[in-house]
Amino acid sequence: MTLFHFVNCALLTFGPHVVYYSATPLSEYDTMGTSIKAAVVYLVTALIKLVCLATFLKVPENEGFDPYQEVMKVLIGLVDVAGLYFALTQLTHRNISQNHKFQAVGLGWAFADSVLHRLAPLWIGARGLEFTWEYIFQGLEANANLVMTLSLAALGSLMWLRKNKPKTLVPIIYACAFLLATMPSITSYLRKALEWQTREVVGFEIFSSLVMAFFSWQLFSACQRPL
Amino acid sequence: MAAPATTEAFSLSYSMFSLLLILFACVELGDAASAVHVYRLIQYDLGGVPLGSRISHLNHHAASLPLDPNADLSRSALLLPLLDLDLSFLTDYITNKKPLGGLVILLPQKLGNKFADFGKHVDLTRVKSVLNQLEDLLVHAELPYPVYFAYESSTFDSLLGDIRGKNFSSQPATSTNGGYKLVISTPEAKKLSPPTISNFQGWLPGQKDGDAEQLPTIAIVASYDTFGAAPALSVGSDSNGSGVAALLEIARLFSRLYSNPKTRGKYNLLFGLTSGGPYNYNGTQKWLRSFDQRVRESIDYAICLNSVGSWENDLWMHVSKPPENVYIKEIYDGFSEVAQDMGFSINVKHKKINISNSRVAWEHEQFSRFRVTALTLSGLSVAPEFLQSTGNLHDTRKSADEKAVARTVKLVAESLARQIYGHKGKKLDIFADGSSLAVNVHHIQSWLDLLSRTPRVAPFLSKNNPFIAALKKELSDHTVEVHVQNEVLDGTFTFYDSTEATLNIYQVAGVTFDFLFLMVLGSYLIVLFSFLVITTRGLDDLINIFRRPAVRKSKST
Repeated sequence: MTLFHFVNCALLTFGPHVVYYSATPLSEYDTMGTSIKAAVVYLVTALIKLVCLATFLKVPENEGFDPYQEVMKVLIGLVDVAGLYFALTQLTHRNISQNHKFQAVGLGWAFADSVLHRLAPLWIGARGLEFTWEYIFQGLEANANLVMTLSLAALGSLMWLRKNKPKTLVPIIYACAFLLATMPSITSYLRKALEWQTREVVGFEIFSSLVMAFFSWQLFSACQRPL
Repeated sequence: MAAPATTEAFSLSYSMFSLLLILFACVELGDAASAVHVYRLIQYDLGGVPLGSRISHLNHHAASLPLDPNADLSRSALLLPLLDLDLSFLTDYITNKKPLGGLVILLPQKLGNKFADFGKHVDLTRVKSVLNQLEDLLVHAELPYPVYFAYESSTFDSLLGDIRGKNFSSQPATSTNGGYKLVISTPEAKKLSPPTISNFQGWLPGQKDGDAEQLPTIAIVASYDTFGAAPALSVGSDSNGSGVAALLEIARLFSRLYSNPKTRGKYNLLFGLTSGGPYNYNGTQKWLRSFDQRVRESIDYAICLNSVGSWENDLWMHVSKPPENVYIKEIYDGFSEVAQDMGFSINVKHKKINISNSRVAWEHEQFSRFRVTALTLSGLSVAPEFLQSTGNLHDTRKSADEKAVARTVKLVAESLARQIYGHKGKKLDIFADGSSLAVNVHHIQSWLDLLSRTPRVAPFLSKNNPFIAALKKELSDHTVEVHVQNEVLDGTFTFYDSTEATLNIYQVAGVTFDFLFLMVLGSYLIVLFSFLVITTRGLDDLINIFRRPAVRKSKST
């Protein structure tokens, strides 16, 4: 029965990635290679972030919100953005349209993120007899994370791959991208400083991911129209 | 060239993967909502008849009163707080052998050693009577399910509150509804080898004039082991920790007198700490049998101490010879003299022994069977039944009063001293308060504290237990020729191990919840799939996915 719960939570955490791949034209154009390369880039980025965090951050004495540490975490979070830039621009992809490229990269990135951060706690924790809502919240978080990564990849491809953009939209694009990149810091601020409960934080994440996805979609389609 | 390398790499990665899989499967962390220390009901065979709780592991849903009258409890563990215990309900269940998954009885915190100062206030006399009846019921019945005792705590309070709340929806928790699961995973209890009983003796030899014949001996005896419903909790502070503390204090006082040759009396003093008390004083019998007959015959009389920590104004002297007997009368007069000076009364109670009956209610009866005059001083007025008053659950530190023990010590010491030094009838206060021979209440208190922390059921008290070493050391400090006799308890009793365990309480969700969640999840994924197909490929593609088999069929024909 508890294995049942584990299977449920695993489906919730990893199911949407699989569904996204099979539902969209990504599967038809065989973009699996791109996704795998993006996942590997994520792994390397995660390692670099780990080393930077270990070098620059101090062990916090109390659980409170320390602005300087958080600023440092934001700066290190920008390494993420650099990794995404690398994956989008530098890797030699086969000739796939820009539309599909950012989706494949975003999907691979989000899948690697879910596996690295959520598989081990799920395996160890969700199989026990004791029932908690924790793993269901974690799955919902993974869903929100997928949407946010896709939006960030879309904006990234707009910023770095598309040369002709309407001038008025450029600052908005950069602003949205910055907001998405700092989303982890915002959630940790909510959790520690304002002391929101887990379900409130997850609700906020889902809501904001949908909002940001809508904005990025509008921006992307606005840039699609020929000037 | 590349193929062998890839197959090698593949087999290596495969073996690594399977190893990781096995490793992960073995990881089983303790993730219970809470883990509580619990104490098991005793499991034993008496003359081949199985008694007590016969099973030790537990894995059932928790249930509590009030219950539906025809609820099936064969797959539930019943959680019963002692104060709300309905004894008739439990008696009904046990005597009619109704099936039960398990039983966990919650004891008030005031009975425990650790929480005695913090627990809620309870009426200890009411608790005592309920506990006595409960123990009687459980110890003499065969229960084919696990029975455990635990102390009340906030964990159990909230657990009971939750279960009772669910009870009002008239559905006991099962695997489909969710609720709480109580899990105790211990291996099945194994038979223990016949227990060793250790009898201690120490002498204080008297002053012989030249080479006179053997001096007469006065023996002071107390049994130190216990028996109770929960062996891990059976500390027997009054029965018979008080007797042990009194004996050790008397030994200390007389060793001060006897250490100086000028104040050494013309009697030998023999101190005996016997084991096997609850089992018809089997240890005392073996101890007496081991004596040389001349030594046994030199014993003038023996004073046995039993439960001397809980009396106020009346002390009882139990004898098996009739009170009119010359020797008994002499001893009684000596005692009552001192008692009068001290301000309480001593009463004689006569109980004939029946040689054909193996039941030995008092320790002095074993002496009487060997034709040695003996008596038992006790706060109890009635002889306890078999396996009763031998270290029950309520008999913890608070039921033994060191002042009562001190009074007993003074009584025995004064009467002995008056007889030994030939001052009968004189108004003396040899062991006066404030003198160097005063009864040391702190000594008694520290021994009562130690005894109340040490469960002393014989099969679970090994020879190497530090408590045994402490007893031996204390005796050696005050007496000479300390001898330990190790014997094996007679075969009618067989004990089983496993007296303590950890209870894990899990909050479980039930299979219905999991199925519901799966339904919701499945529909979410299907909706997501359709949404993505529609937005990226168009509605026609979605319909085509479902029409593909039909298209293929038409092509094949």
